Order: sequence, then C-alpha cells, then structure tokens
Amino acid sequence: MNAAATIIRKEVRDAFAGRWLLLYGGLFAVLALALSYLGQRNLGSIGFENFSRTTASLLNLCLMLAPLIALSLGAGAIAGERERGTLTYLLAQPVSRWEVLIGKYAGLVVSIGVATLAGFGIAGLVIAAFAQTMEVTTYVLLVVLVLALVAVMTGLGILASVVSSTRVQALALAMAVWFFAVLFFDLVLIGMVSAASLDGAGLLAALLLNPVEIVRVLTVIQLEPDLEVLGPFGSYLLEQLGRTGASLILAGALAAWAVVPVSAAAWLFYRKA
Amino acid sequence: MLRVSGLRKTYGRTPALRGVDFAVPPGSLVALLGPNGAGKTTAFKCILGITSFEGGVEVEGLSPRRDGKEVRRRTGYLPQSPAFNEHDSCAQVLEFLAELRGADRERADELLERVGLDEQRDTKTGHLSGGMRQRLALAAALLSDPALLLLDEPTANLDAESRRQFHDLMLELKAEGKAILLSTHVLESLDQLADRVVMLERGEVVLDAPVEELVRRPGGRRFVVNLNGTDHGRFLEALEHIGIERERITPAAGHLEEAVARAAHEYEENQR
Repeated sequence: MNAAATIIRKEVRDAFAGRWLLLYGGLFAVLALALSYLGQRNLGSIGFENFSRTTASLLNLCLMLAPLIALSLGAGAIAGERERGTLTYLLAQPVSRWEVLIGKYAGLVVSIGVATLAGFGIAGLVIAAFAQTMEVTTYVLLVVLVLALVAVMTGLGILASVVSSTRVQALALAMAVWFFAVLFFDLVLIGMVSAASLDGAGLLAALLLNPVEIVRVLTVIQLEPDLEVLGPFGSYLLEQLGRTGASLILAGALAAWAVVPVSAAAWLFYRKA
Repeated sequence: MLRVSGLRKTYGRTPALRGVDFAVPPGSLVALLGPNGAGKTTAFKCILGITSFEGGVEVEGLSPRRDGKEVRRRTGYLPQSPAFNEHDSCAQVLEFLAELRGADRERADELLERVGLDEQRDTKTGHLSGGMRQRLALAAALLSDPALLLLDEPTANLDAESRRQFHDLMLELKAEGKAILLSTHVLESLDQLADRVVMLERGEVVLDAPVEELVRRPGGRRFVVNLNGTDHGRFLEALEHIGIERERITPAAGHLEEAVARAAHEYEENQR
C-alpha cells in the first residue's frame, strides 16, 4: 500500500507539472464567474447570481469539461508509460500491478479533483462575496457530483489505456466514449423512446447506462424538487420512486460506474502479465 | 542466489524460452549471450516476475510468482534502454525509486557520486546522454543494495572510457558479493569480468561454461554471430584470418558489430 501512496504522490506532482490541470481549473473558475455574472445581467441588474442559479448554469459546462479532462488524462496513464518504455521499468520495482494501476488512478482523481475544487472554490468565494442571497447547498452538491463523475470518467480512461497498445489509440477510444456519453447519448435516447416506445422504467434503465446523464438527473432532482424540467419522466420518478428512492438508485448506479471500470482495468492489467 | 530451472515462456504460440537452466552464485558474474530474439530480455522479465512463465526461478530462495515484490526489492534491474520521465531531475528519479524500494534518500546522493553523476544531480533526465541515462539506471538498480543485479546490455550506449569505468564498477560489485547476470553483445573484457558464459539461441541454452574453459578450449573462443546485412563470405574470411574457428553461422539479423568490425578491420589491414 505504501507503494501505491508513493505512486499517487508522483502522479499528482506530474499531473500539475503538465499544466493541463492548471488550465482546466482556471477555465472552470473563469467560466463559472462569467456564467454567474452574465446570468444576473440578463435578469436586468448587475452583480453575481446566487448559488442555485449559478449551479443550474454550470451544470452543462461541468458535464462537458470534467469528463473531457478525466478521460484524456486517464487514457494516457498506462498507454503513455508503455509507449515511453517506462512501464516495464516501473513494474520491475517492488510494486504489484494493482498498486501501479490504483496508484495512477487515484493520483489522477486527486489531481483533477484538486483542480476542480480550486476552480469551483475561487468562483464560489467571489459569488459568496457579491451575491445577494446565499444557497450554498446546491453548489456544493454539484461540486460533489462533478468529483464523482471525475472518478468514473478517469476509471473509463484508465480502462481505455489498459486495453490500448498506444497512447493515440487510448485517446481515440476515450474521445469516442466522451462523444457518445456527452453529445450523442441524448439523441440515442430520443430515438429509443420513439422507436421502442420506452416507458418510464425503460427510460430509467437506459439512463443508468450513462454516468453523465446520471449526474445530470441527480443534480436536477436537487435543484427542481418537482422535476418539471424532466417532463413525464420526472413525474414517473416522483410517483414510482419518490425523490429519495430515485436519488438512491442513481447514486448507487454512479457508485457502480466508479468501481466497475477501474476494477475491469485492474483485472485486465493483471492478465496482461 | 539465482537459480533458473526449466524456464519456459511462450508469447501466443511462439516459444521464447524452451526450458532454460542456469545459476548465478553470490559474488559472481554470469554473461548471458545470444542474438536478438534469443530470449535474454524475456528471461530477465521472468526472473523479475513481471511476466508469467513456467518452470522454476529462485532468487535467494524466493519465487517471483509468490514473492514478486520481495524478489524485485532484492534485485536491481538495469534495462536495455532506460527511460525516465524527462521532466524529472536525476535526484527526483532516484528519490522516487528510493521510496518505492524502501531505501534512504541519502543513498541516492551517494549513488549519484558513485556512478559519476553528482554534477548532474539537478539535470532533467531529458537532457542526459544515453550513457548518462544508463549510469542513472545503474544507480537506481543499486538503491536497495540488492543481492542480485540484472543488467540488460548495460554498455551498449557507453563510450570506451565509460565502459572501462563500468567494468571497474562491476568488479567492485562482484567483490562485494553481489550476483550479477549481464546480457551483452559487447565481448570486450568479458574474460576479465565474467565467471561463466551462458549462451541462448532461440530460447535454448546452447552453451553454459566457465570463461576460462572457453579460453582454454582448442580452437579458441566460440561465439554465435549474427550478421546484419554484412557479407557472409567476407566475414568468414576475416574470422579465419584472425584465427577464429567457424562453428556456426545463422542467417538471422543481429549485432556483435564491434567484433565483426574489428575482425574485418584486422583482415583488411593485413591484406594491404
């Protein structure tokens, strides 16, 4: 376990030395502030929106940016080491394969998590200083959900990295996952609903296949208690499962998404010996 | 110290090692010779326990299958082409590896000095020459004061002076009681360095003998030489001219360029 902790520390140091994360954290902060400021301006006054409005505005931004950075960095984790010729050397040290994989995974999650928290934190402090009302809960909840999404997407990135022989191949695979989960899944879902006449249960089952959508719906459940924005599907969730039941199912599915890909990656990495 | 018995490894359906046996006692250096693809690096990976294999491997009585981490802690490995994160300095590389190997950080400084890299302590590894990277990897291999050293082509990127320094260091390490398994294509000074020679060909041991015995053998030393595009007939003439008896020529690509070049050069010099 000490070896895994050593690899985590090294991974965090390397990740921040690469400057991509600093750019990501800075971009998050700037966009969050801009969304909050511009949102209030559109309402006819100058200043920053409160946390609830900002959270709603930030949701789509988070669901695009966080998976993108997590998938890309995860994809480079093992394939990059293999390509540079450093993987065999690392494995020749007194470490086990699972320690290398878990160390790299956890190191990346911590690094991206810190950058995300810094981005959200800077924006949050500015909004708290200038907004007229304070509703921090939803903002904090969004941060927690984004961190969970980072853990899921880094795991998928690492899985892509383990099954690929080159960094480019891993990155291509990771980007395919990003395009599908972030951009095309809605279209697929709409197609499925009309083609297969999916009912509420079918739609929920389909939704559980995409961690990005899980986070979106979980956030909406917290922001809009009556779930009007989800239309008939929102009514189904409320009537059949209730807010708590729906939240538990979605959170459970998100936890499974956090565990299954990284476990599969660890198993495949072990099998490659 | 190191005992390898009936070691077998296949990649898919291609056998890489076909029942290899040899041993490296403490305080001795065994040279592992053979053309590219003979299975030398694969044998190293099996000994380190970083690839699956059949047969037996024991390092100080421990099996890499059961006690992989402990075997690797007791084994220093110098890869053929050492690669490091090019943004890390020499000191950072050694500090990270020292932490993994459970060694003191102070030992990193001591070893940098021992391999002649004390002035490059804060130099990024991306700015090091091939020879310097090799020396850094050797320092890394020595971090946990391992009982066994696996050195894969350690002098391939070194100039003549660095090679001499490296040989002196090998003799020191042998005298300290370390068991050293060294794979090489460079035959220079091997008779002064090695105690035994194990020659692999297509995953099989074709020769396992003390160096002295090789030198004493009628007909002189025996090496398998792969010619990499060099004219066979001309090379045979060169070998015969300098008194090396031909035993076997394989058509596969390979190296030993130095031996070939030296033989060819001597032959041409004598022709003039």
